[in-house]
Amino acid sequence: MVKKAKKVIRRDDPYAKKISTKIWHEQPSEQNPYIAQQSRCHGYDLIELVKERSYVDVLYLLFRSELPTKEEAVIFEQLLISFINPGPRHPATRSAIVAGVGKTDHVHILPIALSTLSGNFQGAGEVEPAVRFLRTNAKKPPEQVALALLDEGAKPAEGDWSIAPGFGSYYGGVDLMAEQLAQQLVTLPGCGKLLSWGNELSHALHDHQMGWLKTGVAAAVLADLGFLPFACASLYQLISAP
Amino acid sequence: MSSKNNKQDTSFWDEHRNKVFSKRGGWVIGKGVFNCGYDMMHDLVGKKSYMQVMILNATGRLPNRKLADWFEGAHICLSWPDPRIWCNQIGALGGTMQTSVVSATVAGNLAADSKGYGQKTLADGVSFIQKALAAYTNGLSVAEIVSEKCAKYGGKPIIMGYARPIAKGDERVEAMERVSRSLGYSVGPHLDLAYQIEQVLLDRFNESMNINGYMSAFLSDQGLTPEEVYQICAVLVNSGVTACYLDAYGRAGGAFMPLQCEDIEYQGKPARGLSE
Repeated sequence: MVKKAKKVIRRDDPYAKKISTKIWHEQPSEQNPYIAQQSRCHGYDLIELVKERSYVDVLYLLFRSELPTKEEAVIFEQLLISFINPGPRHPATRSAIVAGVGKTDHVHILPIALSTLSGNFQGAGEVEPAVRFLRTNAKKPPEQVALALLDEGAKPAEGDWSIAPGFGSYYGGVDLMAEQLAQQLVTLPGCGKLLSWGNELSHALHDHQMGWLKTGVAAAVLADLGFLPFACASLYQLISAP
Repeated sequence: MSSKNNKQDTSFWDEHRNKVFSKRGGWVIGKGVFNCGYDMMHDLVGKKSYMQVMILNATGRLPNRKLADWFEGAHICLSWPDPRIWCNQIGALGGTMQTSVVSATVAGNLAADSKGYGQKTLADGVSFIQKALAAYTNGLSVAEIVSEKCAKYGGKPIIMGYARPIAKGDERVEAMERVSRSLGYSVGPHLDLAYQIEQVLLDRFNESMNINGYMSAFLSDQGLTPEEVYQICAVLVNSGVTACYLDAYGRAGGAFMPLQCEDIEYQGKPARGLSE
């Protein structure tokens, strides 16, 4: 078929005249419209937040539009501590180490490590699917879901079995640190239904050398706290950044 | 959990422990630098084009010069120095922040890894036309292929590789058709089907094929998979981002599209106090 050249014509679709936001409001100085004299986060004055609230509270506010309750703040803070460092053997940390050894410009080291952490295999790329998996399955009995997963899936010939997003084996066994962190978080009054459900699923997988992965624990807590699935991946990177 | 006495099988990890395995090659000191069986210094440097070696690295196969030249044309076609394009704008914003050229260019490339535009959509475009040709071969008409796809979006002509935001028509298709002709390529079955789909869309919606649709069909005719096209095009927008970075970098810091506070429309909660 011979194709004739066509003209390129502007659509003249309507576009937003301004960038809009529901998060941050900057009040301009009377002398200079480029300089903010006051910043508000979801309505709260930033200076007031600086003086009176914790970093955890304001991080929660930034993403959720309201300040957390005490119970929410406690579990969120414990989650931030739980995954503050992926550890020196983790590919993301090793990327940072290798960049350091390679005398990479210091300002690039964190983006390099976070880029590695973005992966779909036990990285931030797994967090959003894990949230969706938990949300979809949490109405079913966890033992039944475990049986179905074991029945439908097949252990790969090599490497770990990622049986569901956020759950699987870790170096061929159960990730003991993910388990212990989940056991700590599940005891808190702020523990939600996805973390409790995931905990039962994890137990049901133990006989098969699988259980919680760190991404699953993070996904469950963040989803219980009401963070949107797509935001959970970025939050996991942010949590692991220090 | 397993008891402490049950030793777990870690043989797979033990075999790989702190060891690099490579199917591609590497530097063997005193012998040479090897890449998929080629001696890089003798077989590739000065003998093959950069684009040929880039495709070798992205697919494990060394393409002929003709296909590499076609890809070079596509890389020029898909990366313009226009900072209104999102990935280029990230380059320019890096420039205005006086980041390094590497940081800004990498950030722009990362931005192009998008489900809506960029190289990820090319993989979707290749996947669509390959499935469409299989369906067509199995007896589905072109009109049915279009109707089936449009039905998923309430009858709208939303098919990867067709129509385009901002403008109707795509000057890049014509440019790449010229490249294909000059290199002696003829229209293969995927591209032929792509033109037929375009004709149905023109008749029904006055929408045409875009560069994604053309590239996806052409590259399917060359035997490439969606993943291979995605891999080859990993840094498709590279040069336009660098150009936009440098344009902004060469000006005063903060001079690229500065915004007044009131240029942002706040639609959130009204002012409130912590004691409320």
